Amino acid sequence: MTTYNELAGYRVNYLSTDPTLNSGNEGQVWYNSTTGKLRALVQIKAWSAGGNLNTGRKQLAGCGIQTAGLGFGGEDGTVISTATEEYNGASWTAGGNLSTARYTLAGAGTQTVGLAFGGYTGSVSAATEEYDGASWTGGGNMATGRQALIGTGTQTAGLAAGGYNGTTNVANTEEYDGSAWTAGGNLGTARRYSGSAGTQTAGLGFSGFTTANTAVTEEYDGTTWTSGGNVNTARYSLAGAGSQTAAIGFGGFSTVNTGATEEYDGSTWTNSTSLTTARKYIAGCGTRSSALAFGGDAGGVSAATEEFTSSIDVTTAAAWASGGNLSTARRGLGNAGTQTAGLGFGGYAASPSVATEEYDGSTWTGGGNMATARGYFAGCGTQTSALGFGGVNGVELNATEEYDGSAWTGGGNLATARNALGGAGIQTAGLGFGGYVNGQGGKNNTEEYDGSAWAAGGNLGTARWILMGFGTQTAGLAAGGTTTGSNNQSATEEYDGSAWTAGGNLNTARRHTMGTGTQTAGLGFGGYATTLTAATEEYNGTSWSNTTSMATARRNAGGAGTQTAGLCFAGYTTTSVANTEEYTGSFQTTTASTLTTS
Amino acid sequence: MALFIYGTAINTGKNFFTAEDRRNFFLRSYPGNVWVVGNSEKGALWLAEKNGVEKTKAEAQAIVDAVVTAAQAVYDALPEDQKNRPGFNQRPTAITLP
Repeated sequence: MTTYNELAGYRVNYLSTDPTLNSGNEGQVWYNSTTGKLRALVQIKAWSAGGNLNTGRKQLAGCGIQTAGLGFGGEDGTVISTATEEYNGASWTAGGNLSTARYTLAGAGTQTVGLAFGGYTGSVSAATEEYDGASWTGGGNMATGRQALIGTGTQTAGLAAGGYNGTTNVANTEEYDGSAWTAGGNLGTARRYSGSAGTQTAGLGFSGFTTANTAVTEEYDGTTWTSGGNVNTARYSLAGAGSQTAAIGFGGFSTVNTGATEEYDGSTWTNSTSLTTARKYIAGCGTRSSALAFGGDAGGVSAATEEFTSSIDVTTAAAWASGGNLSTARRGLGNAGTQTAGLGFGGYAASPSVATEEYDGSTWTGGGNMATARGYFAGCGTQTSALGFGGVNGVELNATEEYDGSAWTGGGNLATARNALGGAGIQTAGLGFGGYVNGQGGKNNTEEYDGSAWAAGGNLGTARWILMGFGTQTAGLAAGGTTTGSNNQSATEEYDGSAWTAGGNLNTARRHTMGTGTQTAGLGFGGYATTLTAATEEYNGTSWSNTTSMATARRNAGGAGTQTAGLCFAGYTTTSVANTEEYTGSFQTTTASTLTTS
Repeated sequence: MALFIYGTAINTGKNFFTAEDRRNFFLRSYPGNVWVVGNSEKGALWLAEKNGVEKTKAEAQAIVDAVVTAAQAVYDALPEDQKNRPGFNQRPTAITLP
């Protein structure tokens, strides 16, 4: 019998416990002498459920990546759709509608720089539309109107090939340069409803329908299509993602709806794990190792989304869960601490409040009352060493109070009395910035606290109020807010202890918003956009990315904790609320598999 | 098949919904203790386990509309100086359930 040593050139490790599991151990095999199991760290391939499309439909198109996908067009058996939806890795939200309702169209590009072309509107279409992240505008028409075509590439380097022109399958290829389509080399096999992947100069078209299902794969080099390896399951109306040398194809109709998934390495298709929901007329995007499948026909129109992951690490998506309810519903309160040691104080209940509540990760209990009832102020620090400053109680306040875990005592006054300001830092190194003074409008002043007195810091670039603030006195962050009371700001500014500089913009401009974390690992959530929002975003020091939303859209809530363990409590919906939500950021786990003979 | 189940339920706090719930199905709350839940076995089970009362979409929307209307009346009764404080008090706007 051939041994592992002969095959791999290594002996199998004999260990009493599993080793530390991380990506550096990928491919390792060992024998666990305690459990008597042969163990290995091998790649896991799995489809997992994502958030449903808001509008279930089939024969739609997709582009983008798994955490920033775009779905558009399609039909539900009755209505041809213009709807566009944007996926953030957890849920779909409405984007700008296509100008032309159509299905069996193709898509290319990204969520914010997308391309739609071809399809069926009542007749085959040659129309092209370009997406900018919010709306579609017309591009140059293809020479050949067609539906169920191969489509891939980018908005400025798109590729269209094959499809059905209303009379017959076609083989011709067209290339888009951002404004006009020009002819490329013909497919070897004219066909429709193929899967597609890759780029304009390294494209891939696979499977589809001629007069029957075909298994052929063809590879495009920018000029010529050449044969690649056949798919294992011939089918039509499947979806594809990835590149010419690392592609994935899934779904479609063979003799039945199929969830079959295959992976391509540039020459050979290998069967992989199947979709949970078998379906045809499906859309997809992403990469071979991180793909997205959505919509289709599973015996009825489907809204289901599935995410494909190929990794030794399994990623668990971020989520908000309910926490304990506060005793006193309120808004515009102060906040400090962490998810398991949080602090909420003051705010507006029926009137300005002095009440303090302490959170232990499940329950809020009463703490010492503030000396001055107030709302719309800033807080920072910890549950046992907090700072509350500014705010409003009929008039703008400059008073500062310090909490020691049981009682509030007076601190030094702000130089500029104001409310709706941002706050960051700790009790002995606090930061207050922005805010509003009745009759004066928005402020850009920054003040720094040393544990006893406030001193002037560098001014914000944009005077604003009801913004989010977090971080430290020497690495603070301000984002969102308003400059008029009715507009919404998306701008982020970062403080270095002396000056504010521009950071990346929020994806959702908002005011009355909350945040927590650090300048390089921040979390922003809720507020008021065009309506109350539950939208949550993570900041990495450079840019904001959307993550899963809260269950309750709200504004003027408390926020505490970190980017990976955040806390949102109280706030306002149509009245002040008392409920709490706890955020757990996405995380990865590495799991060893037990090898068996089956 | 409808995408969502509609119902009312009282948020009792910790573990009323878990992170796993949020990963398993769509879940959103709206004024009036209205919850919109993904139409799946897990979603339906969640609403039942929370002593939720299932509503039609129209019934749920009517509950939300009533709460918003009441909140608008509260706003409308505010003194003008409070209404006009930029950015602080805003007249609640209509909410349309998905």
